[in-house]
Amino acid sequence: MTAAGTAPSVTSVLVRLKLSLLRNGLRQSGGRRAAYVTSLVVVLLFAALQTLGLVALRGHAHVESVIVLLVAVLALGWAVMPLFFPSGDETLDATRLVMLPLRPGPLVRALLAASLVGIGPLFTLCLLLGSVVALAHGAAAAVTGVLGVALALLVCVALARAVAAANVRLLSSRRGRDLAVLSGLVIAVGAQVVNFGAQRLGVSGLAQLTPVGDVLRWVPPGSAIAAVDAVSRGAYGTAAAQLALSCAALAGLLALWARHLTRLMTSPDGSTLNAAGPPDRERAAGGRGAGGLAGLLPAGRTGTVMERSLRYVWRDPKTKAAWATSLAIGLIVPVFNAVQGTGTIYFACFAAGMLGVQMYNQFGQDTSAFWMVAATISDGRDAYVELRGRALALLVITLPYAVVVTVLTTALLGAWTRLPEVLGLSLALLGAMLATGAWTSARFPYSIPQEGYKNVAPGQAGLAWISIFGGMVAAALLCSPVIAVTIWLNVSAGGDRHLWLLLPLGAAYGAGVGWAGLRLAAPRTANRLPEILTAVSKG
Amino acid sequence: MTMGTAAVHVRGLWKRFGQQVAVAGVDLDLPAGKFIGLVGPNGAGKTTTLSMVTGLLRPDQGSVEVAGHDVWRDPVAVKARIGVLPEGLRLFERLSGRELLGYSGRLRGLPGDEVDKRATQLLDVLDLAGAQHRLVVDYSTGMRKKIGLAAALLHNPEVLFLDEPFEGVDPVSAQTIRGVLERYTGSGATVVFSSHVMELVESLCDWVAVMAAGRIRATGTLAEVRGDAPSLQAAFLELVGAGTRDTASDLDWLGGGR
Repeated sequence: MTAAGTAPSVTSVLVRLKLSLLRNGLRQSGGRRAAYVTSLVVVLLFAALQTLGLVALRGHAHVESVIVLLVAVLALGWAVMPLFFPSGDETLDATRLVMLPLRPGPLVRALLAASLVGIGPLFTLCLLLGSVVALAHGAAAAVTGVLGVALALLVCVALARAVAAANVRLLSSRRGRDLAVLSGLVIAVGAQVVNFGAQRLGVSGLAQLTPVGDVLRWVPPGSAIAAVDAVSRGAYGTAAAQLALSCAALAGLLALWARHLTRLMTSPDGSTLNAAGPPDRERAAGGRGAGGLAGLLPAGRTGTVMERSLRYVWRDPKTKAAWATSLAIGLIVPVFNAVQGTGTIYFACFAAGMLGVQMYNQFGQDTSAFWMVAATISDGRDAYVELRGRALALLVITLPYAVVVTVLTTALLGAWTRLPEVLGLSLALLGAMLATGAWTSARFPYSIPQEGYKNVAPGQAGLAWISIFGGMVAAALLCSPVIAVTIWLNVSAGGDRHLWLLLPLGAAYGAGVGWAGLRLAAPRTANRLPEILTAVSKG
Repeated sequence: MTMGTAAVHVRGLWKRFGQQVAVAGVDLDLPAGKFIGLVGPNGAGKTTTLSMVTGLLRPDQGSVEVAGHDVWRDPVAVKARIGVLPEGLRLFERLSGRELLGYSGRLRGLPGDEVDKRATQLLDVLDLAGAQHRLVVDYSTGMRKKIGLAAALLHNPEVLFLDEPFEGVDPVSAQTIRGVLERYTGSGATVVFSSHVMELVESLCDWVAVMAAGRIRATGTLAEVRGDAPSLQAAFLELVGAGTRDTASDLDWLGGGR
């Protein structure tokens, strides 16, 4: 750029920045590129199937209700995604632009345009286009459709951005971090609503959706898509009102985002304020608590590793938030279902499954401080003790928690006779999660950026998803012998007399699989120390 | 360690990051018992070299021996004998200074009470006793370097590798670090540290290796490397070929009112 020439607009600069960040993130390693391409293909396949499904619904009586509900769920996804899920969408962190002389107006426009680049927006666009094809009858409706798709997409992206900006502020203050931890409950409750709704739908068909659709067709961004249906029916006034609602929502979200952004970029962040005056009392108390804990732990590397892991659960905001979310969902899903009387007792396994996830990406949780661990692991034996220490720290919390949740669920459902089999299944699942978690920690480590609320560095999102979901599928497969025995005992005549056997069987199987997983992961960890360190130091 | 053995023995070390060659065939023999400076401009490959020598980064090619043991084939022998203070990597910052030392020492298999005794002494000597119960995340740069140094010294290594130990450190902390390091080399141990501050290297080191663009340009005692030049700085600029570039005509718009 020469001083005399015209400067390119902020928008085009940021869009290009996002593209190059994406490209550079992929360039860093072949594995990451493969992971990204795989997730891209999966997302596109999924989007294509959904779109085809929507197009096939064209002309169905309740299609509008289905679509507005879908758009609402999509928008909800956009709102919560930046909070909880590893997402590559936050490639552009506004706080990094603080030093540049940018006004909020052009900056918001530019960031919005940049957010439209990525897999997420592409997926959303596919679904929205499918929805319009399913709804539009006539030229006027098609034109409205184009407008509606653009509006709905912008509302989704702006929603995600506004929530994200609000959350950065939350996470940068100590008090806010504790509050943000609670937001894990939001997704748990949301999942419950979806689950509950899906069950009702299964019972009484799509007509059940009509009252929900009546409300949601006035809620942006669904209203922008509902307008297409209104135009198709000739209700132009309704359509105009629905489009106007979406426009207003977009304007409101943008204003909210701009306000957060301005405050974010003009005020010192919470971490600086924190460093200036450390709350010593709280720290001293935490130190004492953990000091008492040390006496109960085994000596040597095992106890040292356990102590550090447990301290981090409490002291490191990222780890703490992840644990709080897991604990909340692990409790809420089985217990809510039991209270509603809709769930099966097998939902109690959720606690073990959710908490087992904490074993995943162990070294990524260390950040680049992993070098301190790497510098003290000389052979497979050291790596095994390290991994076992981490697994034991996890079990200290998880084991009693899973048992309590299982007993509570059983009590709520009054199904005491099934307690042994469910507990056995839970323990087998926990062991399998520890095994796959240890293995993927060694094989697919990825970095967790400590600044902001991101959980994955740009370009590593695909890797993270493959690691977590591949691991979970593998854990389910590992459990299949116990599941098979459970099914067999339940269906075979007289088998239910031996159901209690599943408790010792599940416990032994879980312990065995967990032990084998650690054994398998240890040599890999010891051999890959530099590669793991490189992977967890990115971002 | 037998007399005459090099503390560090590097042959044909290469590392590429994509298209960029960070370290291009480094051969290096660092004598034992010396205070050694690895100097070079930013981007010369100092950090990459030190990472590979300490086993934190896998080289594309080449061999590294520390105290007579191969870093990649015999990590058990090497890791017990070296202490590392890397640059640009975090510590476990949600531990307090004392907890960090306790954690680090116990991971290395030292008995608990011995770790606590050494930690107390190190915290005292490094002026960190007052901050020992504060979380490392709240430490200043100088305090971080000092706690990192304490963690690297705790197991009494034969060879200590420090990457930019004085970068961003205030003069008081720098003097403390210096004192500890001088006492440590005085007992026959080896310190290898990287820096781009020539005055510092000149006043601290008795042996220097100059690095630029991924290669070693000169090695030897301070006097050997300095040669006829008036200072190490001048010798260094000549070695890396950055002697007298005329920048005056390129930046004619800079300064002088608007």
